[in-house]
Amino acid sequence: MAHTGIASTQQYNYEIIKKFAVMALVWGLLGMAAGVYIASELAWPFLNFDIPQITFGRLRPVHTTLVIFGFGGSALFATSYYVVQRTCQTRLYSDWMAAFTFWGWQLAIGLGALSYMFGYTQSREYAEFEWPIDLLIAVTWVVYLALYVQTLRRRSQPHIYVANWFYMAFILATAILHIFNNLAVPVGLFSLKSYSLFSGVQDAMTQWWYGHNAVGFFLTAAFLGMMYYFVPKQAGRPVYSYRLSIVHFWALSFLYMWVGAHHLHWTALPDWTSTLAATFSIMLLLPSWGGMINGIMTLSGAWDKLRTDPIMLFLITALSFYGMSTFEGPLMSLKSVNALSHYTDWTIGHVHSGALGWVAMVSFGSFYHMVPRLYDTRIYSTRLVYVHFWLATIGILLYITAMWVAGIFQGLMLRSFDDYGNLAYTFVETVAFLHEPYVVRALGGAFFLSGVVVMAYNVFMTVRQSRVEAAEIEAKLAAKLARA
Amino acid sequence: MGDTKAKSPGAVQTTGHAWDGDIQEFNNPLPNWWLWAFYATVVFALVYWVLYPAWPVGGTFTKGVMNDITFVDSDGKKVTTHWNTRALLLKDLQDGKEARLSREYMNKVAAAGYSEILGDAEMMAFTRSVAKGLFGDNCAPCHGSGGQGVIGLFPNLADDSWLWGGRIEDIQNTIGQGHLGFMPAFRDTFNDKQLDDLAFYVLSLSGNKVDEAASARGKILFQTDAGGCYYCHTKAGTGLKSQGAANLTDQIWTIADVNGATDLETKKERVEKVISSGVQRQMPHWSDRLSAAQIKLLTVYVHELGGGQ
Repeated sequence: MAHTGIASTQQYNYEIIKKFAVMALVWGLLGMAAGVYIASELAWPFLNFDIPQITFGRLRPVHTTLVIFGFGGSALFATSYYVVQRTCQTRLYSDWMAAFTFWGWQLAIGLGALSYMFGYTQSREYAEFEWPIDLLIAVTWVVYLALYVQTLRRRSQPHIYVANWFYMAFILATAILHIFNNLAVPVGLFSLKSYSLFSGVQDAMTQWWYGHNAVGFFLTAAFLGMMYYFVPKQAGRPVYSYRLSIVHFWALSFLYMWVGAHHLHWTALPDWTSTLAATFSIMLLLPSWGGMINGIMTLSGAWDKLRTDPIMLFLITALSFYGMSTFEGPLMSLKSVNALSHYTDWTIGHVHSGALGWVAMVSFGSFYHMVPRLYDTRIYSTRLVYVHFWLATIGILLYITAMWVAGIFQGLMLRSFDDYGNLAYTFVETVAFLHEPYVVRALGGAFFLSGVVVMAYNVFMTVRQSRVEAAEIEAKLAAKLARA
Repeated sequence: MGDTKAKSPGAVQTTGHAWDGDIQEFNNPLPNWWLWAFYATVVFALVYWVLYPAWPVGGTFTKGVMNDITFVDSDGKKVTTHWNTRALLLKDLQDGKEARLSREYMNKVAAAGYSEILGDAEMMAFTRSVAKGLFGDNCAPCHGSGGQGVIGLFPNLADDSWLWGGRIEDIQNTIGQGHLGFMPAFRDTFNDKQLDDLAFYVLSLSGNKVDEAASARGKILFQTDAGGCYYCHTKAGTGLKSQGAANLTDQIWTIADVNGATDLETKKERVEKVISSGVQRQMPHWSDRLSAAQIKLLTVYVHELGGGQ
């Protein structure tokens, strides 16, 4: 083990990481703004303005694509390139391959968002990209895989650090999921429209096998990779248990693949498939928690850092939300709970406690650690990091409590009977009830978004500060040389 | 794990590796509570697999034990099957507490005549309970959740003005068979001046102060074969229920929003627009979608909404 502290930009390819980090923030801002807008459309439907391109139905996939793949994806590219280089102490295998993944990914996100607004979609949740964009993603992803494996192969460390296993699982699983779920027959060579290779319940099953593993490998495993590097690094303490990391890694990878069908309880899906999905979801609880335990216990003995280090606050809060939503998930996967929760906003709340609480918070924490190091400077304002933390936390709490209220109450209304054995509420009464929770949800989203605006400003000023510092050093150097 | 050095008592050691300078790993054992909780979830799954349909085996699957469901199929035969969600639903629709309760009342109401239902407080309470849902899910999209309608599009059911009749049998007929509301377009029949005259006459019927000479000319068009309005609206302007023709002598306007206009000129324009463009609107029939008993309950409900006759 050679290096500590500042690594030279020559040794590592930092330029590609900077690009991805900036784009993560750009897509994050756009995607979360779209989220706040569509949340407002649900609360105040006039905001659709009868303009097809900005109606809820079209902007919703724009929102999910920009935040999951634009923000989350770019954050994963950035941090995975950072982590793999630093923990293997080697430069990325190829600069052009890295650049290719950048342009391929950004192009796919941009084209995808535009195509949804103009009505082109496969209608597969989180896989709405039509076939030409799917092909672009597939090629980009294969290059990513090759680049990552080749970089790992030329590591100057005998062992592969645990963060890299998680990133590898994410890259490999995403490739498989993406390819199989998007098997489709284009209507024509020059048509954007395509039809899925599968039909009926098989089609639904394939889609949710993909959908849930996108959650499992994209939004869980990959971000655990991020956690496994940035938590011990920022805490300055060893990871709690190597053994736990191995066991929960393999348990998580094995069990996740089975659970997608819990999105299809009480449908035409065969009951045995439903049962397997529910039971594997229950067995997934503890393996999911393994990551939380390992992250939080890493801080054991150094809890005081939570008082002084806002980055640690982000990371530990993220792990807490991770633990909460991975408890809630198996609960909702049980058929009896699902009968209440499904088709209500409880699901939306669950997704966001994971997406905002875990995925976004762990990314924010990691970025606040990583960005100053990329630019060889200090964060512009620690105070603003605290401001961001509180805006984000308040936003999440408003969001998920509003969705619990909306979902659980609508679920209860839909199944409540009056004294004569008749349904007590009409459907539209349950919809009218949703207005107030929807307003609170939009407010929560606005809090969260404003936090990201603060972060973008802080990052922008940090980069500017690094340029000024670099110029000052150069000037000093020049002066010294002139004197000599 | 094999790299672990011998442990000194009381101290957990790291694995001996370090990445990126300072990232190390302790080699703590798995937390016991974690391990046992994991085993508990595995036991939960095993029990679940025994009780419910779970594993595919060849072309079939394990059915689960001690969990059979008995229900009566559509032929009236008693069927016992392994646990499955379809049978669960059928059984619930047959034997559920609410299903039984509702069915009991439903049978009673289905056997009763209208006057019997209208005179029985309990049957009326049941009717309101069922029909609130029926109305909300079937009728409210057009007529509004309170039956208030939309001026210009859908009639108000909560007042005592009835285009097609407000008696029980009229309402039942309307719901079951639906209606085609039709008034021809007169834009090719009348010139602009005649349209003005006719509109003034129509407005005068409901007490609006209009130019008397114009109104008198309009009356001739209305009451003779020149316009033929009286075929459906009658010479008095009160409208034939059999044609769904509006009563023009009251203050109720369902298509031209006369009451929403403040000056006579606007009122006239709105009436003229209806005369020149005519009316084409449709209420679908519900006899295919609702059972006779449901239509009966809905009829009573709509009758109660406004001034049923």
